[in-house]
Amino acid sequence: MATAENIAERPALRKPQKPFYFNTSEHLLRIGRQRASNLCELLTALQTVPDDCIFQHTFRTLQEHHFIRQGFSNDFAHWSLFACNEPALAEQFASVDVREFTAIEGLRRRMVEILDEFLHSNNLSGSRPAHEPFYFCASEIFVLPTFFCADTLKGFLDGLNQVSVHSIHHHFIEARLRLHCMSNDFSHWLEAEVGLAEPADAIEQIDIYANTMEGVRRQIARIVSQAMNQDREAR
Amino acid sequence: MSPDDPRATSASPTVDTQVPTEASRREVERRPPHFARRASDRRINRPLPPGVLTPPTPPPPPHLDDYRTIVGQSQLDTLRYLAKDLKGKTIKMVNSTAVGGGVAEMLNRLVPLLSELEVPTHWDVITGGNDFFEVTKAFHNALHGTPYELTQAAKDIFLMYNEQNRARMQFGEDLVVIHDPQPAGLVLSRSQTAAHWVWRCHIDLSNPNPSVWEFLRPFVEQYDAAIFSAQSFTRQLPIPQYLFYPCIDPLSEKNKELPDSQVQQICDEFGIDRSRPIVTQVSRFDRLKDPVGVVQAYKLAKKYVDCQLVLAGGGATDDPEGAVVLQEVKEAAGDDPDIIILDLPPWCAIQVNAIQRASTIVVQKSLKEGFGLTVTEALWKGKATIASAVGGIPNQIMHKLTGVLVHSVEGCAFQMRYLLTHPEFARSIGTSGREHVKENFLMTTNLKRWLLLFRILEQTKGRRSQAS
Repeated sequence: MATAENIAERPALRKPQKPFYFNTSEHLLRIGRQRASNLCELLTALQTVPDDCIFQHTFRTLQEHHFIRQGFSNDFAHWSLFACNEPALAEQFASVDVREFTAIEGLRRRMVEILDEFLHSNNLSGSRPAHEPFYFCASEIFVLPTFFCADTLKGFLDGLNQVSVHSIHHHFIEARLRLHCMSNDFSHWLEAEVGLAEPADAIEQIDIYANTMEGVRRQIARIVSQAMNQDREAR
Repeated sequence: MSPDDPRATSASPTVDTQVPTEASRREVERRPPHFARRASDRRINRPLPPGVLTPPTPPPPPHLDDYRTIVGQSQLDTLRYLAKDLKGKTIKMVNSTAVGGGVAEMLNRLVPLLSELEVPTHWDVITGGNDFFEVTKAFHNALHGTPYELTQAAKDIFLMYNEQNRARMQFGEDLVVIHDPQPAGLVLSRSQTAAHWVWRCHIDLSNPNPSVWEFLRPFVEQYDAAIFSAQSFTRQLPIPQYLFYPCIDPLSEKNKELPDSQVQQICDEFGIDRSRPIVTQVSRFDRLKDPVGVVQAYKLAKKYVDCQLVLAGGGATDDPEGAVVLQEVKEAAGDDPDIIILDLPPWCAIQVNAIQRASTIVVQKSLKEGFGLTVTEALWKGKATIASAVGGIPNQIMHKLTGVLVHSVEGCAFQMRYLLTHPEFARSIGTSGREHVKENFLMTTNLKRWLLLFRILEQTKGRRSQAS
């Protein structure tokens, strides 16, 4: 936590060498060929569907449901609960935080492990027909620039407040698959270019499952504003 | 036929009401203008208010900038960016009717918006005799699973009119989009054009009549891609399939914001009491919409909570079966003064809008459904919505998150009781439901999907020509 003493000791914020370019991503949903009518079929499909299907039903679905306040997790959890009536399995799937993964393969392995373990201890559940099938989909993704490009913290805040929630999702959640590290574009830039290590950590710790994407935006903005105020006071 | 279908006609639409007593008339006169009438006043056997008897002049279609306050500048920027590389490329949309039905309604808005983005879009309608439309209507029903015996004569009629239209039409555009099965045979012109060909299927193909589907499938397989309205509506095909949810226009008469005074005035005209909870189902009088089931659910709920039921729809004047269903609904309603049955003409979009906005809960208790755009309309208005888990409704209603899904009269009744007594929860799912529509089911999202698809097809073509 920032205190008067450590603020005074903290070096002044740097002027960024590289600006932050706000991009956004848009997706078109492609309906896949695979579907699952029960949990055994889901297990088979989870092992064989292309990576972009796993991405769609975990990372991407968070963007589609960014407004849900009650904590939406992923399509596998939702289907296990509402189509298969398996709340314990749904909780297991829902507990998977996509931000713990920097590649789809690891995420797929985790989902397969959860379902495999569940079916070992609940073997009657595997072949019970679901109320409705699970349709595997994938996305065609387009990354687009926006008009916002920040070369100051104030500019960063302005951009953050004005871009769409798709842009927030792109930089904050999808970024780790691109960066292949446990961070996000915002934290990465704030630390590397502005020298804001603590706020960068604080941003990375925002709980995306207990917030809407607008809530995430507000929390990032609050953290950055606080850092700016503290820097002003220190000067 | 939906209540907003301009093909529907209504010779003498009426409100199902009872004759008022002299005392009740005097009481109404004493009230201030916005004091809602009591139940006993409203069952007056009077014609519909004069304002709804003739179709209003349709307003001009909106421009892209008119959507800014709804979807935000960033979404408009995205649309303009996506259109930039497509500037000057052209689209042809082909369907089977210029007026009436959801497809024409959607094209009426989509075509000018694409053209405004400098992607000139031409809308063509196929022609055909009564025999053609009889065959295609039968195909439509058969694709929905109705038993049907496909004859050689029906195939010949379908092929002959598709040939005639093929001979009449030019396909010089860069993207040709064929809507639904009626013009599906136009794809035989594909080899003479450089265009991408896309089949947009608006109907549910999950359980089609096999003979009709096997007849149509060879045409469908010649397209570059197919588009469906829900994952569950698709067939296994060798071409890419995309998901385009149907959409509503937030600036249309049925969905635009209304001042509260107008909502009040329309409720007053129909005898709807806004001081008490209102449960509404908007749908034509059709057994598949289960209006009798809604009355039964309301009656079960009414034992525990005070509310009124409004059943607003159409189709009872131009459809013999609709009239029978309306009669069944009236019998189920009995003499309950809190059930208001409105057989509205097809142009009553503003009235439907106002009734939905005045409602506490909106119900769509269909036994079978397409995508269910009445659900989309209710969600857009932030209403707590109870709907059956059929057709495309589960795409819109995530149980207990954006609405509630039910499977029976009893389930529907329970959810009415629950939502009426838990307004915080009702508000919360209503808010999420509106956001869901904003993200996925608005005209601007539909526009974005077309631009994305066009870009994908162009990229694929580019890759193909590079490879060759």
